[in-house]
Amino acid sequence: MVDLTKDHLPLEDAYETRRYFAKFDQIIGHLTKVAENTTSNKIVLDTEVPILQDYLSSLSATFTALSYKHLLAGRVSNLMANVLNIDRQESGFPIFPELLQMANDAIQANRHLQSLPSLKQLKQEMVQHILNEHEVPLQLQFAASQRLYYQCLVDQNLFWAQNDPQCSWDGDLSSGRRKYHIHWAVYDSQLNIPVIYLMDVEDSGYRALPRDGERWPQVQTHLMAQSSALLELVTIARGFDQDFDDLHPKKLRRIFVGPMYSHSFTQQSGPLRDVLSEASRKPEWDWALAWSVETLIASRTEMQRTGFFKQVERQIYQLDPLMKLPHGGLSGATAHQRSLILPQRAYQILEEMNPPGFTNIRKYVVSPHGRVLSYR
Amino acid sequence: MSALESQIKKAVEEVATSQQKLSKFTDQIEQARSEFEAGQELSIDIENASLDDVNAHTDLMSANIAELIMGLDDVTAGFSKDFDAMRSYSGWESFIGFFSKQRADSLRQERMRTASIEDKLQDLISKSDVITNLLQDQLNTLNEHAARVEKNLESTLVDREATVATLEDIKAKILDIDPKIIALENKISVETDAAARTKLETELAALNTEYNALVQEEQVKVAESQTLERYIEKGKTWVDSLQNQAATQMVLINKLQTDTKQRVVLYDALSKSLKTAQQQDVAHRINEIGVATDQEAQAAMAAIGSATNQRMAEMMEKHEDHMVFARKVLEEKAKSDERFARRFEKIVEKHDKNAYGA
Repeated sequence: MVDLTKDHLPLEDAYETRRYFAKFDQIIGHLTKVAENTTSNKIVLDTEVPILQDYLSSLSATFTALSYKHLLAGRVSNLMANVLNIDRQESGFPIFPELLQMANDAIQANRHLQSLPSLKQLKQEMVQHILNEHEVPLQLQFAASQRLYYQCLVDQNLFWAQNDPQCSWDGDLSSGRRKYHIHWAVYDSQLNIPVIYLMDVEDSGYRALPRDGERWPQVQTHLMAQSSALLELVTIARGFDQDFDDLHPKKLRRIFVGPMYSHSFTQQSGPLRDVLSEASRKPEWDWALAWSVETLIASRTEMQRTGFFKQVERQIYQLDPLMKLPHGGLSGATAHQRSLILPQRAYQILEEMNPPGFTNIRKYVVSPHGRVLSYR
Repeated sequence: MSALESQIKKAVEEVATSQQKLSKFTDQIEQARSEFEAGQELSIDIENASLDDVNAHTDLMSANIAELIMGLDDVTAGFSKDFDAMRSYSGWESFIGFFSKQRADSLRQERMRTASIEDKLQDLISKSDVITNLLQDQLNTLNEHAARVEKNLESTLVDREATVATLEDIKAKILDIDPKIIALENKISVETDAAARTKLETELAALNTEYNALVQEEQVKVAESQTLERYIEKGKTWVDSLQNQAATQMVLINKLQTDTKQRVVLYDALSKSLKTAQQQDVAHRINEIGVATDQEAQAAMAAIGSATNQRMAEMMEKHEDHMVFARKVLEEKAKSDERFARRFEKIVEKHDKNAYGA
């Protein structure tokens, strides 16, 4: 039987769901520190760190919101309970439809907030319920968790399934061109992993790109429609270069925030599995988060004829001749940097086992006090 | 307003009516119970007719909701149109193709690059969400009513036990009095003293009164026990009917949720794989043509060329895999639809013949 949702793991009870979110919260907290650390290792530029931190904090808010939504999963006597599904194969994150569902909830959030009683009122009712009935006020707790969830959807800056491109001016070039930073992020629907894109563009157009009502919306839809992890960077950059004659993508960078491995929640194979199962004696030690950065840089430009009297500039990208993809092809990026974030204990075990294939990965090790150190 | 939206509106109204009817019926049962507790004569008149009415309306509502779910199928047919468009040339592109195949290809690729089905997926999720909420709401009401009636029945059963116990008690008392009366009558028949005889007769009269009272009480209790029994029977039928309805609701919800989940994953995988297969090889080739003239990298070129071919072949194979995969999923879906179809045979038939309101 082919079941498309086979590798989706529903978290059935409240305890499990809470543990999952607690773990996630902790890991994302470390991520912002790791992001600061990456500049010293020349993985990410100084200017890009605030952007990354923005996305990471909104990602954290998204998880907080989802954790409110599923706080009482399986405890309310609702026969068809709504439980969180995560992708346990090579992702560890909630599945993409959960984020679509959240966006759908957000549309109706204000209506829900109007109909639900206030938190103060709910708490008072809870106290009364406890005193009068001598039992846990489950229904009221559920109402409160939903109220907090919708409140989050309205107030917080969240990471959505699609986060549309934003553009910032990065200076003028001598040749009369302007330089722009464009960044956007998607929750990749195939991998179920948040992916952040950063692009440096030179603009030789007449009007400034962010104020150009003709090009900017087109650029946005084009980039969003092309943000799929299945597409190589060179494919995305080429397509963009092709479709916009006066925009020249010089550098494109893609950051995969994941997958998250955890012995208790996800299935993994290979050496990492052994490391995590060894470390799983304490649940707070059994995780690792992979964080990989792909970079594509234009090495030179060529002029191409597009009409009788018209020539446009096209970029030629430098591809890494050594980096081979698992299925044998050449990678579509200039450089790949992979790093692994893991707690001290797991790192210790990884070093002792010293499995092949992990030597070139940068490891960020988190101490129990939250300090992050980086090792090669 | 689209057909689906008006259908949803209709279903919402029906659910509301059905919930009213449910409440009315449960209220009747509860009212009968409170009358009984107040010591009144049990006047329950839970007509079979009204139960039938509730059930008939529920059937109608389920049928309409099943139709709604089938209607969602029609909405998703829009996706396949998108996929077809991604696979083939548009009218303008085929026209251009007469003059330049290359130009037509590049136009199509440009179209592919901006194609996105995310908003359609969002729409699908929100529509299915509306229907799920509707069903969930109804399911909750059903469960709540079932719980209320069950609780009610429980205490009624206790009452009935008490009534039966009293009845037994009365019967025992009657049996007890019987020999006493016979003994007294015997005594009266042999008594000759008038004063003593009068005294005995007074005693007998008192005993007789007590006996009659007991017999009357017995009859009352028998009637009460019978009424309670009838009440319990009715309650049980009602709970059965509620549970049956809840089961139907769960089949509907299950079908809808599974379908939507699978659809979202499937459509997404299909559109992404179409996109990848269309663009990836071309982008690599073009970039590599550029790179090929690059002096520095010339040495690596031969290897890259063969690798590119291999990748292209793999890409196409992978795409084929996706298509096979998609077909399998569709077959699987057809199987899972069977259970649904068995339950809602007539609606499916009507849907297939496209005979709404015709």
